[in-house]
This record gives sequence, C-alpha cells and structure tokens, in this order.
Amino acid sequence: MNRALASGPIVWLGIIVATCLLLVLFQTVLWLVMPVLLAVVAYYVMSPLVAAAMAHGITRPRAVLIVTVFLTIILVAVGFSIAPRISALAHDLPRKITDYGQVAYTLSENAQKTLYTSFPFLHHQATDTKPDSDAHNLGFIGSEVVAAPSTKTAPSDDLQNQVAAWQAKYSGDIALELAHWIPSLLLVPYITYFFLLDGPRFKRFLVQAIPNAFFEKTLYLFYRVEDQVRRYFQGLLALTSLDAFCLGIGLWFLGLNAPFLLAVIAAVMAWLPYLGSIGGGLLVVLVAAHDFPQSHWLPYGVIGLFIGVRLLDDFVFMPLTVGRSLHMHPLVTVLMILLGGAVAGVAGLLLVMPVLGVVMVAGQIIGELLTDERILARYRHARRLKLERAQADLFTE
Amino acid sequence: MFFGLPNLNSRNPRLQLLKNVVLFKDLSMRDLVMVDSLMHARSYIADEVIFDEGEEGQGLFLVLSGRVKIALPATAADFLLELGPGAFFGEVALLDQSLRTAQARAIEDSQIVVLFRAEFYSLLETHSAIASRISFQLARVLAARLRQSVINASRQHHAG
Repeated sequence: MNRALASGPIVWLGIIVATCLLLVLFQTVLWLVMPVLLAVVAYYVMSPLVAAAMAHGITRPRAVLIVTVFLTIILVAVGFSIAPRISALAHDLPRKITDYGQVAYTLSENAQKTLYTSFPFLHHQATDTKPDSDAHNLGFIGSEVVAAPSTKTAPSDDLQNQVAAWQAKYSGDIALELAHWIPSLLLVPYITYFFLLDGPRFKRFLVQAIPNAFFEKTLYLFYRVEDQVRRYFQGLLALTSLDAFCLGIGLWFLGLNAPFLLAVIAAVMAWLPYLGSIGGGLLVVLVAAHDFPQSHWLPYGVIGLFIGVRLLDDFVFMPLTVGRSLHMHPLVTVLMILLGGAVAGVAGLLLVMPVLGVVMVAGQIIGELLTDERILARYRHARRLKLERAQADLFTE
Repeated sequence: MFFGLPNLNSRNPRLQLLKNVVLFKDLSMRDLVMVDSLMHARSYIADEVIFDEGEEGQGLFLVLSGRVKIALPATAADFLLELGPGAFFGEVALLDQSLRTAQARAIEDSQIVVLFRAEFYSLLETHSAIASRISFQLARVLAARLRQSVINASRQHHAG
C-alpha cells in the first residue's frame, strides 16, 4: 500500500490544495521556476559524473568545476556546429511556416477525401449539417464521388498573406518575450553549478534550523524529497531516451530525413503531458508530408508509429521509469494532470507531477510529525528546559 | 604547512576528536575531513531527549562533548550505559531502518554530531575506501558486543 494513500483523506486534501497553490504561485514566477527546474534536471544529469570524479579522489569543488567545464565545452561545440543551421532556419522561417501550413491543409483535405470515399455516410452528415460546406468544392454529388478537380483556390497565397500579417503583428511581442526569457535561461548553468557545489552544505544549513525533537524525521524528509525529485527527473530522462530511441528507429525505418533529431524533439515535447505528445506527433507528420509529398501512406505510417510508441510508453516504459519513481496510482496521476492544467494552464501541466511528488512526501512526513504527540511533547520539554535556564536567576526570593 | 597542504590537525579541534573515535581510527586526516563534511552538528541541553525507544533510527550519533545516558524508559533513572566524549551510539541505524531499542538522553549539555544513513550510503558510492574502513570498524564493534552478550548469557545460565 502506498504510504501517502494511507495518510488519510485530510492529509491528501492538504496535499492537493498545497499542490494547486504552488502551481498558481509557480505560474506567476514562471521566469524563475523554469530555470530552476531545468537546473534541477541538469543537476541530476551531472551529479553522477561529479560522484564518479569524486570516487577517483577529486574534491567536490574540483569535480564540479571539471564536469561543468567539460559539459560547457561540449554544449558550446554543439551550439557552434548547429548555429549556422538554426540561423538559416530562422531566416527561412516564414516560408517554412507557409510550406508546412500548405502541407497541413493538403493533408487534412486528403484525409477528408479518403474518409468520405471510405465512409460515404459521413459525407451525408457533413452536407446535412453544413449545406454550404467545402464538400461542393471537393466534387461530391450526393453519395457519388466524382473525380472532378477541386474548384477551391489554392490556399498558399492566403497563407503567405496570413503569415506576413502574423509576423508583422507579433514579431515585436516575440522579440520582447525572447528578451524576457533568454536572461532567465542563461541562469540555468549558473544555478546548476551552485546546486552541485553547495547543495549538501545548503541542506546541512537548513537542517541546523530544525529543533532537536524533529531532527531525525526532518532529515529523513529531506532525504525522501530529494530521492523523489531525483527519481522523477532521472525517470523522465530515461523515458525520454527510450521514446527517442524507439521513435528514431521507427522513423529511420520509415525513411524520414534526420529521424533521430525528430525523435529527440518529439520525445522532449512529450514532457508536456498529452498536448506535448500530440504536438510532437503532428510536427513529425507534417515533416513527413512535406519531405515526401508523393508518399500518401507515410503520414499514416508516422501516426501508427506514434500510437505504437505511445502504447509502449503507457504500458511498459512509464511504469518502469517515472511511474515507479512516484509510486502514484494511475487515476490520481490523470486527475492531478487535469487539475494542474485547469489551475495553471500549460505551466501547470508541465509542473504538476514533480510538484505533487514533492508535496506528497512532505505532506506525509509533516502529517506524521504534527500528529506524533511524543515528538511534540519532547519539543515542548526541550523548550521548557531552555526557558528555565534562561530564567534561572531572574527571580529572587 | 607542508608542500602547501594545510595542517588539518591544528585547524579543526573537531577533527582531532573524531580521530579518537574507534570507528574512524583507520582514517587519515584527509579522509576525516570528508567524513566530517557529511556530519550534522547538534547541541542538546541537559536532560533533553536525543531519541526515544521505538523511533525509526536514521543515523549514528557521536558525542563530542558532554555526557549521554542510554536507558529503557521504564528504568530511565537506572540507565544501561553512560557515554562521554568520543563514544557513539545508535550505530545500528547506519545498517538498516530498524527501531531504536533504548532511549538516549543528555546528562549534561552535550555537543553531538550525527552521520545520517543516506549520507553514509552516498559515501559508500563516492568514497568506497573510506566507507569500507568505517564499516569494518563498525562490524568489529558489533562483533565484540555480540561476543560479550553471549559470554554474559552463558555466565547467567551457569550461575542459574
């Protein structure tokens, strides 16, 4: 039995309320929460490397410095190698958006045609509810499918105009948003470095403030919270690697360009529950349809692959990685994700699981501390002893 | 100073105290600095309870100064053991999460350091040589206590 589930309804209610309040708070300071969250992920990626260096007799400050410098050099090298491609991509972005918009439009049109050809009754329903729909333009007459060419004008000019208008309207906002986020993201390596260097010292500093009566249990709470967060993020990274590997193999088998890059992007997007998986899948489908316009079956192959990997994810990988790390009932997981989305939007969806994991452990231990009469009595006893000593010679006969 | 290395002995009196603890007697000063960096310092006032019988043990306690008594609550006045500087107690908690078998209480104001089990395990991963030396000494202490218990039981049996 899960210890948190055994904590009782009041503790659980407290856990849910605290999680929601924290999500609302985090949403308001997202510019600070995101770099800290990314720094925590980086910390758990780098801490085994620091531990390995320390196992070879290197002191912590030197181990942290070596690992940080080593990873920074790798990141800078990767950055320099992909910078020209990113620059070209950014320069080409409006045209790419138009192209992908065109592809999306054609894809949805083809899918609609295929659907109406295979299931004519759907067409009836569509024309009944929407008599002036595009169906006329697709060359359908009653239940007969006529191979007449579409009379609808090509949408590319419209799309180009729309993209240009969108660019003119929002480019200032995007630049402002980037100016807002870039400094906060630059904090990530800085925060990670100090997490690695001073994390244990900071923990001891915090523990010093705990009264003696609560000391052992609180120390255990710190350990459990850290363990929970570590297991969650390491599980998430393992899940991302497994997803990326399976998707990469599948996309390579389907013959897509840069299969592993696309797989990594889709796997990272899946960090956002539900929406991320759908967004990642759509992105790869669009790329497949754009790069191979003649191959009508390829987008469906990609969709099949995503569904297959999603099922593997839900039934095999997730229970082995993230699910095992949080020890959470699947129903609670789904409900909390929905609640997180309702309370704090996309940020809530992203943050709800790690926040819930930490609050769950903290709530359980704090619940145990505040309901343990013996520990409370020991705390009061120690305070009384200190008070008596402080008052010892204050009162004279 | 020798080749730029700090004289760790003179810098930190706590290290000198730790050096005299039987668990750490095989460790060099440099190893002790590492172990010391993992320890949590606590101050207890006279008569304050350090831990209770039946609590889940989380770590080993080591007396730096003052005196501590180990007793069963029913016989709190008539304690089992009195410990002074250099002595340690609650060591079984380093090995597992078992419940404390007796109560520990400060007889006088005491400075105590605590080695938490999870941190000892992390020491096993990062500095296995240091942790294995501590583990070996801990095994010797526990073996000596077991031997003494067997001898005591045997004496009682023969006397009875």
